[in-house]
Amino acid sequence: MNALRMNAFVRTLPARPWIWSFIGAAIVFLASLLITGGAGAGGIVVAALSLASFAVVVGMGQMFVMSLGPGNVDLSLPANIGLASAIAMKVMNGSDSMIAAGIVAALASGMLIGLINYGLIRTLRIPPIIATLSTSFIVQSIDISYGRGLQVKPPPGFAGFTDLRLLGLPVFVLVIIVASIIAAIVLGRTIFGRSVLAIGQNMRAAWLAGIKVQRIRAVTYVLCSALGGLSGALLAAYFRGSSTDIGNEYLLMSIAVVVIGGTSVAGGRANLPGLWGAALFLVLLQVMLNTFGADASVRLVTTGFVIIAVITAAGGRVAER
Amino acid sequence: MNHLTALLSAAVLSSCLVGPALADTSGKKIALSNGYAGNSWRQSMLESWKKIGDKAVADKVIGAADAFTTAAKEAPQQAAQIQNLILQGYDAIVLNALSPDALNGSVKQACDAGIIVVAFDGLVTEPCAYKVTVDLAETYGAEQVRQMAKRLPNGGNILYIRGVAGTSIDDDITKGVLREIEKHPNLKIVSTVHGDWDQTTAQKAVTGVLPSLPDIAGIIDQGGDGYGTAEAFRSAGRPLPIIMLGNRKDELVWWKEQIKTNGNYDTWSASEAPGMATFAFWVAQQVLDGKDVPKEVPMDILFVDKSSLDAQIAATPDGGVANVEYSQDDVVKAIAAAKK
Repeated sequence: MNALRMNAFVRTLPARPWIWSFIGAAIVFLASLLITGGAGAGGIVVAALSLASFAVVVGMGQMFVMSLGPGNVDLSLPANIGLASAIAMKVMNGSDSMIAAGIVAALASGMLIGLINYGLIRTLRIPPIIATLSTSFIVQSIDISYGRGLQVKPPPGFAGFTDLRLLGLPVFVLVIIVASIIAAIVLGRTIFGRSVLAIGQNMRAAWLAGIKVQRIRAVTYVLCSALGGLSGALLAAYFRGSSTDIGNEYLLMSIAVVVIGGTSVAGGRANLPGLWGAALFLVLLQVMLNTFGADASVRLVTTGFVIIAVITAAGGRVAER
Repeated sequence: MNHLTALLSAAVLSSCLVGPALADTSGKKIALSNGYAGNSWRQSMLESWKKIGDKAVADKVIGAADAFTTAAKEAPQQAAQIQNLILQGYDAIVLNALSPDALNGSVKQACDAGIIVVAFDGLVTEPCAYKVTVDLAETYGAEQVRQMAKRLPNGGNILYIRGVAGTSIDDDITKGVLREIEKHPNLKIVSTVHGDWDQTTAQKAVTGVLPSLPDIAGIIDQGGDGYGTAEAFRSAGRPLPIIMLGNRKDELVWWKEQIKTNGNYDTWSASEAPGMATFAFWVAQQVLDGKDVPKEVPMDILFVDKSSLDAQIAATPDGGVANVEYSQDDVVKAIAAAKK
């Protein structure tokens, strides 16, 4: 019986869009190990998980937003992360007793940005790409004048938290794994999650079905920006200081992990496990190219091609629908 | 240099009539054209400019010293900004260019309008502009290898952290590093990653590659990435190599901490000082004053060693970068040296 069920599971595997990102991650991981002769495997796994988990946090928010349907995307994440990192570090001011206050301030800054994003989209009817991009410019300017380009250090307790290990794995990675499981449940099993997907499939049908479309959209944009704010605080702790540019990488990264992870760009179909696969894949790809000692140009070209390859492999499913 | 121009004769004439520090330029206006303000280096640069510029205006050495920064980090915007500065009637434009060639058109227009253009840090290829040059290959790239060799007499494995790929700065420093390291066969570069002069990027890159590397004795880099690299070694539980630093306050404080916990820890730190904007300011003032100034004025980088560490930590604001502002005298001397 069990074997049969296992068999059925294996047969449906190719139909699961997230499997491709994990296969990709495994291949680049093995390729790096070939070069090092198997040395440092454990270290690479821990490093990759740590870096991937940041991409997963912002990726979760971006995934909810993109699931709302075509054209929905949050381009203000990098600026949001940068500002939140500065606010969190300044509020904490190097004192362990202010850690909670700093995280709350970062979340609040993120949520405010989310509200502004949605306000522009809703009241001025600006397409999300333009709305979030303009918010991004404003937020970045605020960050430059507020942060003055200075790197403010996290308090020792918050910085130490990123070093804590449990069973050999960093604790914050485990926390983010748990958070992503919760997000998967929210997406698949709660009214909010189902509403997001319903809106992404057909906004008018969702509205006719009695879903409070605008309220759900507002909550989604705020949720995404709140996650951006949270990751700003976490990044500043892990990298030992806030900076304007700390979130720059996550503009492309947040969208790439969503798409490679098997979430439909057209909206209405989201995939949480895929976020982890895609984030690990992208991080391990960089590790592999660094281990090879590849030239910067080779690295960029390879990254581009491999992303196209994985999306094509994973995207074969879309045509069948 | 060897070009005899009207400038030279004017300079000779005026220096015959009056001594140095003429009031000739008291009615002249100098503008700073800047394309980015989002990091500590640029913030310090703007502060230094304001400090020296305001003082020069108060002392009636110059009529105005205004700073302009574009909203986005894009060359076309800076080109438009330069055109505006031409229309606003500035006599000289001190320029930190976002692109070595995309601004050439605007720079040429400024020169044709009789405006003195002095580029520093981000240089332009347009020949009519004066340039404040730093020999990064020799004074930074090669010097790091020499400093490393001094501290690692028995040699060892080196990890080299490069800057932003494709920039002239990265190319120059790398040339110097590779040229010098050939003379030290016991130093071996075992891996090269790009840290983009940014501690976050450097920490990510080093974290990723470190598990696959043998023991590392030293890090050669391009500044701004030393602290992130140290964090990557610490969180991987690897012994700390000698990390060349880039004058950031957090790097200098970190160095001080290492000395406290391990008295023997010794390294070397250097960077272009953000105050080089004030060096360019005085170059522009000297040209406006009618002095004979060569098209390229070389400048030294600012370095910190064990003896100057405490003083630099005290003088640098938290999160900032070690800085020095240049005086008119410094620049007059540099110009005289450049003419030899």
